[in-house]
Amino acid sequence: MARRPKYLRAWYGIFPAAMLALAPFALPLYVMTLLTEALILGLFAMSLDLMVGYTRLFSFGHAAAFGFGAYASGWLLLHTQLPMLCAVPLAALLAGIVAIGVAWVCTQATGVSFSMLTLAFAQLLYAVAFKWTSVTGGSDGLAGIPRRGGPFGFDAFSSRTGFYYFVLIALAAALVFCWALVRSPFGAVLRGIRENEAKTLALGYNTRLYKIAVVALAYGLGGLAGALYAPFAGFANTELVFWLFSGQVLIMVIVGGSGTLIGPILGAAFFLVVEHQLSNYTEAWALGFGLIFIAFVIFAPEGIWGLLTERLGRAGRSVR
Amino acid sequence: MSLFAFLTTQSLNALSQAALLFFLGVGLTLIFGIMRIVNFAHGTLYMLGAFVGYSVARSTGSFWPALLLAPLAVGVVGVLFELVILRRLYRREASAFLMVTFGLALVLGEIVRLTWGPEALQVEPPQAFAGIVFLAGEPFPTYRLFLVAAGIIIAVAIWQLLDRTRLGLIIRAASQNPEMVSALGIDVNLVRSMVFGIGCSLAGIGGVLAAPLVTASVGMAARMIIDAFVIVIIGGMGSFLGSLIAALLIAFTQVFGEYYLPDFALAFMYLLMLLVLVIRPGGLLGKEA
Repeated sequence: MARRPKYLRAWYGIFPAAMLALAPFALPLYVMTLLTEALILGLFAMSLDLMVGYTRLFSFGHAAAFGFGAYASGWLLLHTQLPMLCAVPLAALLAGIVAIGVAWVCTQATGVSFSMLTLAFAQLLYAVAFKWTSVTGGSDGLAGIPRRGGPFGFDAFSSRTGFYYFVLIALAAALVFCWALVRSPFGAVLRGIRENEAKTLALGYNTRLYKIAVVALAYGLGGLAGALYAPFAGFANTELVFWLFSGQVLIMVIVGGSGTLIGPILGAAFFLVVEHQLSNYTEAWALGFGLIFIAFVIFAPEGIWGLLTERLGRAGRSVR
Repeated sequence: MSLFAFLTTQSLNALSQAALLFFLGVGLTLIFGIMRIVNFAHGTLYMLGAFVGYSVARSTGSFWPALLLAPLAVGVVGVLFELVILRRLYRREASAFLMVTFGLALVLGEIVRLTWGPEALQVEPPQAFAGIVFLAGEPFPTYRLFLVAAGIIIAVAIWQLLDRTRLGLIIRAASQNPEMVSALGIDVNLVRSMVFGIGCSLAGIGGVLAAPLVTASVGMAARMIIDAFVIVIIGGMGSFLGSLIAALLIAFTQVFGEYYLPDFALAFMYLLMLLVLVIRPGGLLGKEA
């Protein structure tokens, strides 16, 4: 792909950001709700992309991060007086810390075994969430989670539009963080692990430590997404930890285009919109969804972002 | 109930459960061994087997034709999927398979729901095994004994197939070194299609045999697939004997855990999996991963 002119590339970033920032003034409320959910799922998918796209670590239990974050922030909002501004980052931090232990165990294996270990941990968390009724609410989950804004004018975040901005800021911050991360020397090592772990190890990098670090970061950011979801939806239940959700987020990453950060966000939005639209037209939305999905894997392995950049690349060339 | 009677009936319960789990696990592990594919649609194929079995049993009025035709139908679906979709992807990385089989699970699940409706459907067990027998003075459903027998028969059959026949030899060879097998003039693609078909029809057998016990329902796929994964992982991906041992382990953990510590039974299964993987990342009988 040809490099596009710099001013054009800058536009690609600023334009969507401005659109998203102005969206609440133009779009009806139900679209805003959908958009908020898309951003939360986008953050979730992007966090998984750090592992899948940049390190070639296929987590099959990423729902554990989301679910853990959702339960933690839900519990904090229900049982303490902490405002969202504290509860949400705290839940994400907790998810990241717990993930260090999980990652330490999982990174003992590689390949399919790694995926299966992450799945095992996620299902273990699912079992705990299902049975530890006094904390998690069991099969009912936690309900009535408040959007507590807090003092100093932060109360604005508790309105529907305010919450949208809260999510948007979180996503933007996470995106900038990941963007910088994958371009840093740390990110170069991750890509080294992706391409050839043995060689990276031979170059003197302790690859296992890097893998633990990236898993912890990815789970922390996934936990952030879950922590935002709890006050967004007002509930947290076992479905958020179930393996099906782990499969779905993996779909979002691949359909969007792994290893691009932006792609998975688009993939998440695409997933949500297709689910929403198809379920409007037909009860059998999963059928259409499955077919679209199979077609993507076969005909567009680079995902949505791959298709888009191919187009934009051509447009960029013609401008020059 | 005496302790002896209790242990006997519960153990037989566990054995019949193990038989069902084994049908799924062994199919998954065969497919993985030769194709390096984690087949996400396996639970859905199991469900398809149960529903096809229901229809055949209803229209013929007997369970036996269903036991023959349902696995056949599921096997055909599997072979078609391999020919049309999977074959295009062999040069791609493993994630592609994960994705398409997940897609297949969605599509098939929806087709089943549209065809047979969302209600659970009751399948009558065969006449000869519909009653109960008394074991150590306690009543026990004959059908579960039949399941245990079926499990043993199929396990022996697969073992003989893998160990004693030319096809089994080729399958084992192809799982170790497909290039070499291909160089010896054997059509590896054909072997793959066959193994995928066999694996799928084993899931179909599991489905049709489970149907009289748990009814055919749309939820049965999601419940079973994860157990099947756990079995394959514990046993070692690609290991036939491993999947047999793991199916027994898991079934006994489930049945006795459910009785003694119902709150922890679910967690036990996953803890067992974690424990095995931490000690042996490749599974009990798998190669080191």
